[in-house]
Amino acid sequence: MKLLTHNMLTSHVKGVTKGYPLLIKATEVKVNDVDFNPQFVCRMIPKLEWSALVEAADLLGHRQDLPSELVPDYEKNEDFLKKVHRALLEVEVIEGCLQCPESGREFPISRGIPNMLLNEDEV
Amino acid sequence: MSSHDGEDTAEQTSNVSTPEETDSAIITVYIGATVPTGFEHTAAEEVQEKIGVDARISKDRGRIYFPISTDKLFQVHRLRSVDNLFVVVEEYDHYQFKESKEETLMELQQLASKLPWSNALKVWELNRSLKKKKGHRKGGNSTRVKPDSEASVADTRQQELPRETSPAGGDAKTESVADPESCQQDSEEALPEARLIKFRVTCNRAGDKHSFSSNEAARDFGGAVQEFFQWKADMTKFDIEVLLNIHNEEVVVGIALTEESLHRRNISHFGPTTLRSTLCYGMLRLCKPQVSDVILDPMCGTGAIPLEGAIEFNSSFYVAGDNNDMAVNRTVNNVSHIQKRRADKGSSSGLPIDTVQWDVCNLPIKTSSVDIIITDMPFGKRMGSRKKNWDLYPSCLREMARVCRPGSGKAVLLTQDKKCFAKAVSQMGGLWRKVLTVWVNVGGLHAGVYLLKRTSLWNKKAALFSNLG
Repeated sequence: MKLLTHNMLTSHVKGVTKGYPLLIKATEVKVNDVDFNPQFVCRMIPKLEWSALVEAADLLGHRQDLPSELVPDYEKNEDFLKKVHRALLEVEVIEGCLQCPESGREFPISRGIPNMLLNEDEV
Repeated sequence: MSSHDGEDTAEQTSNVSTPEETDSAIITVYIGATVPTGFEHTAAEEVQEKIGVDARISKDRGRIYFPISTDKLFQVHRLRSVDNLFVVVEEYDHYQFKESKEETLMELQQLASKLPWSNALKVWELNRSLKKKKGHRKGGNSTRVKPDSEASVADTRQQELPRETSPAGGDAKTESVADPESCQQDSEEALPEARLIKFRVTCNRAGDKHSFSSNEAARDFGGAVQEFFQWKADMTKFDIEVLLNIHNEEVVVGIALTEESLHRRNISHFGPTTLRSTLCYGMLRLCKPQVSDVILDPMCGTGAIPLEGAIEFNSSFYVAGDNNDMAVNRTVNNVSHIQKRRADKGSSSGLPIDTVQWDVCNLPIKTSSVDIIITDMPFGKRMGSRKKNWDLYPSCLREMARVCRPGSGKAVLLTQDKKCFAKAVSQMGGLWRKVLTVWVNVGGLHAGVYLLKRTSLWNKKAALFSNLG
């Protein structure tokens, strides 16, 4: 699971109102090599929940000193964009789980695949 | 070599069988390409974009034609919307067939020696050396032959003819058409001994007024081709595949540039309904992925669509999801397979794609966070059931509307259950607007690819949205 995906995932357990962001508990993390596209990163940043990304990257030890808040003019800062690129696309949780912040329900991650299926009673 | 009369004949034969000098003059030929029926325009667009020429479309017949010069030939292998490629030897728009079968077949036989083979054969040869240089993996995009695949069967009645004849005159020899380039640059590729060229003829025939069958045409035409070139007929291990395509009054003779193979280029782990990559590509082109678009396939099966997207439209990000264990595992396997292939070639292997296991009717995704939804919806024939679709489709569409960005979002949905789909869309209270439909053929089933626009409508009152922010 990449952190870009994590940024969009939320808990949908019945009755939960604050299911975002999911807490990451990782037992295996991998870093890949993905082609850097500055335009992609630039345009993706406004679509993100920035604090959730930074927290997640921090937890996995790959924060690379990204700031807690976005600085203006980041579009031209290639260094910064590369760090964001790495956090979004290159860091992957292979084994572990995601935890709903409200209900505590855990969704396992195995082979990089989070299993978000709910049981019948949770829907 | 050949015992036929006529000056043309001798000239052509000698060009083919005794290349004494390097012939590096650039020539222009016509290439024919088979594409998924319904996506001819998409394919023509891709040709314009990647090769810079206008293609002629054979509407609803799954075929396009375009000119190319030999110095640009390698570009045809970059086309992602074509299943098979062939070089046109000759094309007759209004071929006048004779009344009787005997006369018609006789004429086809005579045709073999009169056709302008030379340029087409040069292109075939050039293509072969291109493939060797690239270390080209066997198999193009074609999936035509596999019986249980999704390969579309074009509306013409196709009959692949087993070309079986014992060679007339067993000790006839033809010098191989050795490629001068490969001789010079790669001595291992040189073919020093004379070796028989092996060939087969495939005839596709469609139309009511023909007095002959495709079997007969292939047999007689093939026999004449063999006589003319002194090649050896071989059904399975052929070097050259000659195509004889007859559609009413249109006759096209071609030489195949891609191998008939079972290969779906990206997929190594197949599922029961894996879509062929050319169809995936056509669907992706339809939704025009932009830089940083978040693209979801919430019923991804083996991941064919998002994987094709991650490779070909790689400035977007793909999330592939399915509720089925095997499906998500196959998807991950397919992604890994491609990544490994890329790593082996020395390029950065990571693809912009992720896989999640989820229920499409209850997506664990934030509201309005997705730009494009693209998926192959269960037809209800091989997967699921028609009855299930009546419940599934509306739930799906509702949930997809929730996660899709209002105003700018789009969906490209493939389904054969057109009635159910139309009803489900109309029940959505204006959340989706139909933009266009492409009619396609998937594994013999008539299906529709629907391009929908997500309207700006945001309707909390109708309880369409859950409290997922």
